[in-house]
Amino acid sequence: MSLDYVKFSPGFEGFMPKEYRDMVEHGPFGKKTSVSQMGSFKEILEEHPMCAGCAMTLFIRLAIIAFPNPEDTITVGTAGCGRLAISQAAIPFVYGNYGDQNGVASGLSRGLRLRFGDQPKDVVVMVGDGGMADIGFSGTLHSWFRKEKFTTIMLDNEVYGNTGGQESGMTNQGAVLKMAPLGKKFEKMDMLSMAKLAGCAYVATVVPNNPRRVENVIRKAVLIAREVGPTYIQAYTSCNIEYAIPTDKVLEDCKTVEDDRYKFSEHITEDARDYLADRYGYKEFMPKPAMAAISKA
Amino acid sequence: MYLVANINIDICAATSCKLCTQFCPEANTINYNTELGKDEGYKYGSAYVAVDRCKGCAQCVWVCDNMAKHHAITMVMIDQLPKAAMTDYITYGEKSTTAQLVNPTAGSE
Repeated sequence: MSLDYVKFSPGFEGFMPKEYRDMVEHGPFGKKTSVSQMGSFKEILEEHPMCAGCAMTLFIRLAIIAFPNPEDTITVGTAGCGRLAISQAAIPFVYGNYGDQNGVASGLSRGLRLRFGDQPKDVVVMVGDGGMADIGFSGTLHSWFRKEKFTTIMLDNEVYGNTGGQESGMTNQGAVLKMAPLGKKFEKMDMLSMAKLAGCAYVATVVPNNPRRVENVIRKAVLIAREVGPTYIQAYTSCNIEYAIPTDKVLEDCKTVEDDRYKFSEHITEDARDYLADRYGYKEFMPKPAMAAISKA
Repeated sequence: MYLVANINIDICAATSCKLCTQFCPEANTINYNTELGKDEGYKYGSAYVAVDRCKGCAQCVWVCDNMAKHHAITMVMIDQLPKAAMTDYITYGEKSTTAQLVNPTAGSE
């Protein structure tokens, strides 16, 4: 949980694999990196077994780059596709039982605050729609109602992609899938409204076809979760296997879905605005000078 | 044999938009070298593909054709590439990477 854990044990430098050496010498730990520098530094995410062209992987890659302090971050996940990539990263990953991830993250977040005090240690939950909106629903909502300070990110592929295509709570009404041949009979769950109702300090929807926006949103959510309250990001990360999207059309599909039902939206409380402006100098949330003062000047 | 992405350095170095590096789902697969194309007078370098990490999804082709409109990336059978970049032969620098090109099917020079 500090820069010390990303360095060689004395005497082992020559035996470490190239990827490890690159990570120690040219990784993003302790530096400010952004998506515009991608391709010129060693990324925390390594090779992973996710399907070719998976939009979820793209989102995870962008999200991990966006963490403000990767050396002080722990990710929490559960069963589902996402953990296959998140666990292949050079930051600690905790695997909660299916549905337990927000409970695990609550304990972890509280424990880290007791142990490290004011020194920020970020806990980020990244789970699919099934793990969060179906099986982990009560745990997720309770952690929000308890105002647990960590970030929750839903990787919404609108299907149980890992187990053959069953419908989830986040699947759209009428969607026909391999394991839901009659089509889904109910509406997509409105997790955004539930997050707002439960008192999340920051709620946003995002699609991975805008890397800078993904970076911006994740960074805000992680910073707000340090002191203000729970934050929730819902990301559309299509399953190109279950929805039969050709891999080279995945980003086109992202754009279509963004225009249709995943328009960028951001809900931020007054406390969170003030916190970002005061502590981290976010100009967009700084109080605007009154018109009279401008005209006098 | 299988397809991998191949970037035309002459077209890429002329624009250097870096969009493909931001949209590839695989980490450190499309890397950036600020020195590529400088001998031909281009200023900002070019992207290149580490072919051993490329899964052949062709998202970068869509991005280059439709978002950037540069048409610099094509999918090529890996045995049609006499020389290509591979992870073991990539060196990271302060703000750029350099790749020694090797025979991708033999995995060495």
